[in-house]
Amino acid sequence: MSQLAPQVGIVLVSHSARLAEGAADLASQVGGGTVTVVAAGGTDDGGLGTSAAKVASALRRADEGAGVLVLPDLGSAVLTVRALLEDLRDASVALVDAPFVEGAVAATVTAAAGADLKSVARAAEEAWHARKF
Amino acid sequence: MPASSESITLEGDLHARPAGALAVAAGRFTAVVCVTAGARTVDAKSVLGVMGLGATSGQRVTVTADGPDAEEAVAALIAILGDATRVGG
Repeated sequence: MSQLAPQVGIVLVSHSARLAEGAADLASQVGGGTVTVVAAGGTDDGGLGTSAAKVASALRRADEGAGVLVLPDLGSAVLTVRALLEDLRDASVALVDAPFVEGAVAATVTAAAGADLKSVARAAEEAWHARKF
Repeated sequence: MPASSESITLEGDLHARPAGALAVAAGRFTAVVCVTAGARTVDAKSVLGVMGLGATSGQRVTVTADGPDAEEAVAALIAILGDATRVGG
């Protein structure tokens, strides 16, 4: 599989900018650094919360042409993402219900192996069943 | 379908980054690839599964593959286990 082929991009939506950035950094490094993992955390003025503008910007940056997977940290981030996706009506963007850290890592690693959006989303969902020990 | 298997003794603990490298490499093969450490066997394409093995330095780890590219998959993963666990992370 060529590294030049477009990979699925990942957007991590968190109420905390630092949580999103830390999770993006971790997932990116575990995935070997080839996947575009973009953090969209906090409100526009730097507080705790979510921002539709930040998510929209992250979606554009994560899009290499193979689709984008969006992971929210908590249920209320889902509201922001859903409202935005309804406006975008873009079939190449998928919102997934998965544990934030484990889902981000599993999705990024699967994207790095060249999997399609559906498989990357499934890898994130399977993180519900992964035990740490 | 051809099946292939090989074992290696880890020179370091199987931390997050080597587990990631292993799962990324495994995901590029068509074959079903498994990693066994102690009594546990996991899908090598699942990074969380590989991390959950908790494989440590000195432990014997076996890579098993079944499929058209099984032999290449086993060779690639054994090489990663040899290199990556020396670096840590």
